[in-house]
Amino acid sequence: MFRFTVEEALRKGTLVFYFAVASFILVLFALGIGRLPNDPDMVALFGSPLARKSLHDFNVVEFILIMLHQQSVGAILLFGIFGIAGLIPSMLEKGTIDLFLSKPLARAELLMARALGAVTGVAINLIYFFIGIWIIFGIKLEVWHWGFLSSVIYVVFAFFCYYSVVAIVGLITRSTGFSILLAFMFSIISWGLELREKGLYRLWDNIVYHRLLDGLYYLTPQLNAMIDNSTLVVGRHPFIPGQAEFVITPFICSFFSTCLIYALSIWYFSRQDY
Amino acid sequence: MEIIQTYELTKYYRSGLFNRKNIQALEKVSLTINEGEIFGLLGPNGAGKTTFVKLVLSIALPTSGKAKVFGLDIGTTALKENCGYLPENHRYPSFLSAANTLKFFGRLNGIPNSELNGKVSSLLELVGLKDWAKIKTKKFSKGMMQRLGLAQALINDPKLLFLDEPTDGVDPIGRKEIRDLLLELKAKGVTIFLNSHLLSEVEMICDRVAILNKGRVVRIGTINELTAHKLIYTIQLSAPISDVIKERLRSSLLRADFYDNKVIVELRDTSELNFIIDLLRNDGIGIESMTQQKTSLEEYFIQLVKGEKEN
Repeated sequence: MFRFTVEEALRKGTLVFYFAVASFILVLFALGIGRLPNDPDMVALFGSPLARKSLHDFNVVEFILIMLHQQSVGAILLFGIFGIAGLIPSMLEKGTIDLFLSKPLARAELLMARALGAVTGVAINLIYFFIGIWIIFGIKLEVWHWGFLSSVIYVVFAFFCYYSVVAIVGLITRSTGFSILLAFMFSIISWGLELREKGLYRLWDNIVYHRLLDGLYYLTPQLNAMIDNSTLVVGRHPFIPGQAEFVITPFICSFFSTCLIYALSIWYFSRQDY
Repeated sequence: MEIIQTYELTKYYRSGLFNRKNIQALEKVSLTINEGEIFGLLGPNGAGKTTFVKLVLSIALPTSGKAKVFGLDIGTTALKENCGYLPENHRYPSFLSAANTLKFFGRLNGIPNSELNGKVSSLLELVGLKDWAKIKTKKFSKGMMQRLGLAQALINDPKLLFLDEPTDGVDPIGRKEIRDLLLELKAKGVTIFLNSHLLSEVEMICDRVAILNKGRVVRIGTINELTAHKLIYTIQLSAPISDVIKERLRSSLLRADFYDNKVIVELRDTSELNFIIDLLRNDGIGIESMTQQKTSLEEYFIQLVKGEKEN
């Protein structure tokens, strides 16, 4: 089931599109990025100088990698969810689920293989892009940025946590549309909860309401915090002052909340009639 | 040996989001299906035939009652290792070819890759899809999908096969091939559980049938037991009967209709057959044949379901 789901995910139009765009960007960088022959310290794109590799506190290579990281994460959250949100509802369609459930597989195994397969389909695309960029920057600029390479692990993990929300919504509503809609709503809610002290707290000065928001924040995957921290693994954004240090806490909290959501999904799935 | 045993299996589906209603699908269904038989489950639409199979295979969960398959409680994953299932309106991933579809379901059944290739090609040949092995299933007609579905259900060499409308959309030649295949499987000891609307087919291959109506079993028995329920006999004679004998038969039996060398009689019980034979032989009339008249399964089914409706 896992292998089959990975194959199905990779064939989804939106992921094929992501793959095509990623490949195009890789080709662009492979052909265009480099150093000026007469000034090896100057980073250039198609022969046009961008900036020196490091200038005071500003590291242009790291800046480009941060931008690539942020854009690719944004794109994968969009295309990835569009691509694989339907995998759980499509498994539950009449005529399909009957066949799957008639096989000697536990329902938990079926659901988790489907979810992990879906996330792996997205992860393959992400890893392809990150490794591609890492190799191109290494060869062309002699910058082997291990932070950029390792950040993909954090992004994949964040996506796995995010997908737990999509999976449970897909399981309950059996609708791809609802799954996508609620996934995007969740990403906004996650952002709102992350910044609750500066925003949502101020709507109502009530301790119960504040603790409720805290509870929601810790009980759901902290998508926004994980993405921000995965960027910090690459480097500090030169134009955003006062950035916090990288912390692992959102990943740990999200791991537990994701386990809880998948456990609830399995419990729900095992009690349903199909 | 009993392969499936159900004890008062009951299923109510809940419908409605706010005003929840219980819809009865099965009501205290107790059935026993023996090893090596072809068992037919008949019933009008919504009678609960598919629900029964779904409960046995744990695709749906019973509201109450118990069931055992191969002596294991339903819900045990291991029992499915020996089951094959062809559901109604089954769907296969459209991006897979026929051969890859079978390989995929073979893997779900835990069949090692080394065994799969040979098994897949022999099954595709068996169901007449050998030349379509590499064609994607999205190009398949309904009948071809049924054939592929049958191959899928047989991928793990099941000891128990559940078929829900297996000949739906299949042409007459294909139906005959499927019937022959089922009889071949039966000869190998496979137990077959068949849900079908095509009563003529059920009549041809099933050893026993149960008729479900509104979630309840209303009749169960062999085809003969169900269709030969009236004691109506056709007696072919060597010569016409005299008026005196005609009158005696009319006055003694429930019904007696006379045609040249033939008489059709309806009896109260089989002991009256001896009376008829003695009467005719004493009058010097030879009996060439005596056959019990049967209603077709379809006629019986319609009468039964109509009767239930009126009651």
